[in-house]
Amino acid sequence: MPEVPITPEAVIELLTSEHILEPQEPILPETDLFTLGLDSMAMMQLLLQIEQRFQLTVNPSEMTRERFATAGSLATFLREKRRLAA
Amino acid sequence: MLTLPATTVDYFLAGLESFMRRSGQDTHWGVTVLKLEGKPDADLLARVWEQIHAHHPMLGARLKRVWRGWRLAWESQGTVPAPAITWHPTQSVPPDKNILRERFQGQVGSKPLRSPLLMEVFPFGDHDQHVILLTWRHALLDGTGINLLLEKMASGDASAGPPEPAPPKRHRMRDVFQRARPLMKRLHAMTSAGCLSAWAKGGAKGGAPDFHVIEFSQEQSERAAVRLRTACGDFLQMPFYAAVAARALRLLHERRGWHSPQIHLQLPFQSRGRSRDLLFGNHTGTLPLFLDAGALGTLEEAVSHLLERYREAMREEMPKASEALMTLAAHLPVGWFIPAVRLSNCGQICSLFHSHTGSFLPGRGEFAGAPVQNVYNIPNVCSPPGLGIFFSDFAGRITLTLSWRRGSVSPEEVETVNQKIQEDLTGGR
Repeated sequence: MPEVPITPEAVIELLTSEHILEPQEPILPETDLFTLGLDSMAMMQLLLQIEQRFQLTVNPSEMTRERFATAGSLATFLREKRRLAA
Repeated sequence: MLTLPATTVDYFLAGLESFMRRSGQDTHWGVTVLKLEGKPDADLLARVWEQIHAHHPMLGARLKRVWRGWRLAWESQGTVPAPAITWHPTQSVPPDKNILRERFQGQVGSKPLRSPLLMEVFPFGDHDQHVILLTWRHALLDGTGINLLLEKMASGDASAGPPEPAPPKRHRMRDVFQRARPLMKRLHAMTSAGCLSAWAKGGAKGGAPDFHVIEFSQEQSERAAVRLRTACGDFLQMPFYAAVAARALRLLHERRGWHSPQIHLQLPFQSRGRSRDLLFGNHTGTLPLFLDAGALGTLEEAVSHLLERYREAMREEMPKASEALMTLAAHLPVGWFIPAVRLSNCGQICSLFHSHTGSFLPGRGEFAGAPVQNVYNIPNVCSPPGLGIFFSDFAGRITLTLSWRRGSVSPEEVETVNQKIQEDLTGGR
């Protein structure tokens, strides 16, 4: 299966298509995801969706506030993780 | 007449309440306690309270059968007037346990509450401290809903009503049954595995509800946060607390000399839209996980095992199966399906409940203009399972609520559970 490119837009698409977040305003790459309601329950779903869509396993201890703050920072983290795994 | 769609969790709670009433356990209520350092702005509170009641017809709704499809839906005559916020006279101490106990049984002055949502303010002490008590009926609000309600009230503007509900989906019953099968198989597996809750089979069911609240100090909370971060990163409070609760229940079984090869844990998952304006109606479904009692040796092992079981359940599309099973149940008389679940699970329903709320009022230090000292929930539970373990978190401060039915667990056992949880969270200091 071809790798899905990891971009801020792909992360935003994942968040909205899987109903992990349902904001009233569109999510931008720099939008603070926590103010939109990214809670513990949503994070559990996100963890699995990242595995399924990007074929990347994120260790819970890697889930830091900085990495998951915005779609942009999350895409950067996941791209780096994929690069290191290659 | 306004008809609003019910979630599948609403059906479940309707069945649970029916079971509770039939077994003399009254109605399912919860209380949220907000401790404030100063005086909340009375005008702001009143305005927001009125706005909430003016924009959410769910507050006047009742679950009824609709002819089309013979399924449950909320029916409302429209919005209801806001019940007056009660400001109590100033006391030297905060509201005592008797008041809290009365509220979480849905009573005021020994009389049943008529509104599904009540707000009271208790001023106390010499330093203008206040406690706000919100008493809520679980049929209309769950842990996620109460979070959203607090956020809405804290924002000072509740003029937005809920989003337009999506029309109910039509299902082919054969497809729904197929989707529900993996969960049915799981529930049967629970029966054959002999999973136990805190309730002894044949034991009392109608015991009075009781609770114990333990507010961790800042220092204890920080130690717990370090353990949480090490095991689960910055965010996964839910599996961490669930693992702690499962270990406490395992210890309770051991002390009783019971053998439960697995702990049946109901992990909440979001089962509806995440609009911040969707306050009422239940948000979270439950994901049944079976944790091997032998895999709960250390907290780290327990968390890792739980996450693995979570992944497995998600791969088996258990949330969809849970939705499907409750969709099937929605076509049954309310009083039937919980007894059916009880019967298929040898009376245990589920081993324990726990909260999943993460942090209250994230990013906010004030509520109605007053600095917030702490926020926590006190939900009542039914028997079985007989014991509920709930965690609340406000600005990094943890509060543990143990809620039980008398006759299901003894005071000594409650203390054992409390000690075990404190030991897991703080390393026993």
